[in-house]
Amino acid sequence: MIASWLQSPTGPAARIADAFAAAVPQIATARLVLRAPRLADYPAYEAVFTSDRARFMGGPFTVDAAFADFCQGCAGWLLRGAGMWTICLRGSDVALGWVYLWQEWEDPEPEIGWVLTTAAEGRGYAAEAAQAVLPHAVALYGAGGFVSYIDADNDRSARLAERLGARRDPAAEAARGEAGLLIFRHSGPKVPT
Amino acid sequence: MITRPKSIAFPTAPVLETARLRLRMPRYEDFAHRLTFYASDRSVWEGGPYDRDTAWRIFASEVGQWPLMGFGPFSVDDRVTGTYLGEVGIYQPVQFPEPELGWFVTDQAEGCGIASEGARAVMAWARASFGWDHIDNYIDPGNMRSIALGLRLGGVRVDAPGADPGDVVIRHDLRGLA
Repeated sequence: MIASWLQSPTGPAARIADAFAAAVPQIATARLVLRAPRLADYPAYEAVFTSDRARFMGGPFTVDAAFADFCQGCAGWLLRGAGMWTICLRGSDVALGWVYLWQEWEDPEPEIGWVLTTAAEGRGYAAEAAQAVLPHAVALYGAGGFVSYIDADNDRSARLAERLGARRDPAAEAARGEAGLLIFRHSGPKVPT
Repeated sequence: MITRPKSIAFPTAPVLETARLRLRMPRYEDFAHRLTFYASDRSVWEGGPYDRDTAWRIFASEVGQWPLMGFGPFSVDDRVTGTYLGEVGIYQPVQFPEPELGWFVTDQAEGCGIASEGARAVMAWARASFGWDHIDNYIDPGNMRSIALGLRLGGVRVDAPGADPGDVVIRHDLRGLA
């Protein structure tokens, strides 16, 4: 990575970038803040997506592809009305991971997805972030109108999808016809019991 | 039945107007034109042809530079008819040493000076907004048409790093603008 390339925008460019970022709804949970992604988050994103951690998401990616992916998550806000949030701890600006409402060109339906940095794993942050985004997804797509695409070997994410109340959709999986791809359909926020 | 919003209230790129053109924030619908371009041999100097998944990734990732960097692509419309004619913008994906000025026009719009008219507007905007003293084009040495356009716009070939080794780098002096 080129150090100068990574410099956050300054002056008028920063004001334009900030105006876009300010339009992304910020969501606070008990422990977390979900905010618009910033260029400064990218090194953490690149570390995840160029590593073996990205193996369930079509990776590891090249640096070029990782950056294109990061930008695409931000572009969702402009092109599709929903995109990617960076997950931070309350009171911190360090990126712990990302949760997103996303639709690749080839995806028939919008998706809710999540990925954490290695350091942030194992504390329930992905669940907490995804839970907080579910009401947004329902508002945008309707209950049952969005899914999570999960690699069949990604047990952790599959378990999280189930904890969020999503269930496998065999008809959607058959229609997609992609071996090893599980499709979990979300009916909306799980009613607390 | 609830329906998905077509878009949400969001700031957009500034609108730039020239004699014949309106430059504005790209929209989802604009992608169809990029798809056609990337599927054709005309995209060979951009590393194409590309399949639609790759074309979408390129298009979306460039639009995503607006919220990250404060600049990005403008879609170019005919200001009278609203017909989409192409794109002119400032791009800086990961391996670019500096923000780059780039352009693309649809098949139908080629040869009408659309790219040069749009590029002049974007250069003036960049100068007025960011105070940059120059901006470069990174062009494949085989892309004679774009090289000729860069030079016609007043740019000069410089020995500076581009996007790829061997790129022709054409530098535009912005100091006389705005």
